[in-house]
Amino acid sequence: MKKLGFHGRMMTPGMLLLAALSFIPLFTVIAMSFSRVRLLGGVSFEWVGLEYWIRFFTDLDLGLQWLRTLAFFVLTVGLEMGLGIVFALCLWKLARGRNTVLSLFLLPMFVAPVIVGLLGRFLTDSTFGLYAWVFRLLGYEEDILGSGTSAFVAVVAMDVWQWTPLIALITLAGLTSVPLSVREAAALDGASGWQNLRHIILPSISSVLLVALLIRSMDAIRYFDIISVTTNGGPADATKVVPIRLYETAFRFFDLGYAAVIGLVMLVVSIIIARTFVRLLDKKGLAR
Amino acid sequence: MTTPVDRSPLRARLSVRVIVLLGLLWTLVPLVWMALSSFKSDTDVTSPEPQVFFEPTLDNYAKLFSGANNLGPYILHSVFAAGISSVLAVVLGALAGYGLAGTRFRGKKHVAFWIISTRMAPIAVVVLPLFLLFRGAGLIDSIPGLVLAYLTFNLPFAIWLMSAFFAEIPPSVEESALVAGCTRWQAFRHVVLPLTKAGLVTTFVLCLVFSWNDYAFALVFSGPDSQTLPIAADQLVTQTGIDWGQLTAIGTIVVLPMIVAGLAVRRWLVTGLTLGAVTGE
Repeated sequence: MKKLGFHGRMMTPGMLLLAALSFIPLFTVIAMSFSRVRLLGGVSFEWVGLEYWIRFFTDLDLGLQWLRTLAFFVLTVGLEMGLGIVFALCLWKLARGRNTVLSLFLLPMFVAPVIVGLLGRFLTDSTFGLYAWVFRLLGYEEDILGSGTSAFVAVVAMDVWQWTPLIALITLAGLTSVPLSVREAAALDGASGWQNLRHIILPSISSVLLVALLIRSMDAIRYFDIISVTTNGGPADATKVVPIRLYETAFRFFDLGYAAVIGLVMLVVSIIIARTFVRLLDKKGLAR
Repeated sequence: MTTPVDRSPLRARLSVRVIVLLGLLWTLVPLVWMALSSFKSDTDVTSPEPQVFFEPTLDNYAKLFSGANNLGPYILHSVFAAGISSVLAVVLGALAGYGLAGTRFRGKKHVAFWIISTRMAPIAVVVLPLFLLFRGAGLIDSIPGLVLAYLTFNLPFAIWLMSAFFAEIPPSVEESALVAGCTRWQAFRHVVLPLTKAGLVTTFVLCLVFSWNDYAFALVFSGPDSQTLPIAADQLVTQTGIDWGQLTAIGTIVVLPMIVAGLAVRRWLVTGLTLGAVTGE
C-alpha cells in the first residue's frame, strides 16, 4: 500500500471497480463466444470451439447488417457534421442572442433516445402525426415508418435531430477560440469571406472537428435505442443494424454464444476507432 | 467572447438569420408539439388535422398517476438508480481523477486509454456478460444491479472528466497547502477539491443525464421492481395499444428535468462531452 503513493491510493477504489466492471465481462464474453450457454437451471457453458466464429464468417445476413450499419454511420455522421458546422458558423456570426439560441438548440441532446424514438413515431403516424400531415400537404401519402427507404431516412433524421447540436456546440467552442488577429490579418490581405472560411477558419479548428467526428463515430456504431422503439429493425430488415441484430440474437433467440461473437467484433471495431481518435489527437497535442 | 464587428453585407446577415430560424424550427417543433399534446384531450391528440388551439386538460397526467400503471414507482426507480450511480461515479471519479492527473508513471497513457475505451465499448458487449453474471448473483430486477450497470459507463466518464478538471489546477495550490501544514488528504479535501466544484457538478449532471436516459441496460436488467421511466414510456406502446396523450405526458416528465439540469452546466458541456479533449471557451 505504501509503495503506491498518495495518488495511487486515491486511484485504487475507482480503478478496482472499473477493472471488475470491464475485465470480468470481457473474459466472460470471450468465454461465451466459444460456448453454448444454457440458462435453465443456473448458467452453464458448454465448449463448442470455433463453431460460432465460423458461422460469423459465413453469415450473409450479418454482412448485410454491417453494410447497413456503415451506410447509417456515413449518413448520420456526415449530415451531423455538415449541418452542425453550418449552424455553428451561423451562430458565430450572430452577434446578439447567441447564448439563448444556443441553449434552445442544445435541447435535443438531453432528451432520452427512447423518447426521441417514440416522439418520432408520434410525429410520423399516418393518421394524426404532425409531420405526416405536412408531408400529405406536400403530396406524400405513404406511411413513413412503413416502407423501407422512408423508415431508414426517418431513423437517420431522428439521430441527426438529436446529435447535430453536439457538433454545433463543439465547433462553436473551437470557433470562438480562433484568435481574432488571425481572422483580421486574413481579411486585411483581401481574402473573401469564403476564402477566409476555407483557408483560415476551417484549418484552425480542424482538430476540434476531429474530436467531434470521432465522438459521434463511437456512438453511431452502437446506435440502438431509437431504432429499437421505432422500427425494431423493420420493415423487412430495412433498419436492422448490427446492435439490433445482436440484441435480437441474444435476448429473443437466446443464442448467447453467437451474440458474444457479434459483440466482440463490434468491440474490436470501436477500439480501432478509439485508437485512431487518440493517435490523431496525440499528433495535434490535444490529448491529456 | 470576442465578436468582431460584423462588416458582412446585409444579404449575408439575412441568410444567417434564416438558417438560424430554420435550425430552431427543426429543433423545437417536436419538443413543443410533445409538450402541447400532453395537455390535449384524446380527441385533440388523435385529430387528423393538427390542433394548435385547444382546451388544455391535465387528464393525461392524472391518468399517469392513478390506476394500475401508476408512474410513481417508475420515477422512484429512475431517481434511485440514476442518482446513486451518479453519486458513486462522482465520488470514485474524483478520487481516481485526482490520482490520474497528479501521477506520472510508465504506461500512464495506456491506462488512460483503457479507462476511456471501457466507456466507448458497445453497450451490447457489456450487457451480454453482465446479464449472465447478474443472473448468477441475483441482481436482475434490482436497483443495485442497475446502479452497477450504469457505473460501467458513468465511472470511466467520471474518472476521465474529473482528471481533466484536476489537471487545470496549478500544483502550487496544493504545494502551499502542504507547506502550511496540511496532510495530503486535508490538502485534497479542503483546498484542491473545492476548486473543482464546477467539475463535480458537471460530472454529476452528465452522469445523471446518461443514466436517467438509459434504455438498453434497463431493458435487459430491470423487472417489475426496478423498471425506470424510459421503460415505462416504452411499455405504454406495447401493453395497452398506444395512448399518445399519456405518452407525450410521460415524455415531458422524462425530458424536462434533464433539460433543466443540462442547461445548468452548459458552460462546461464542451469539456464534459468531449472528455476534456477540446479546450473550449
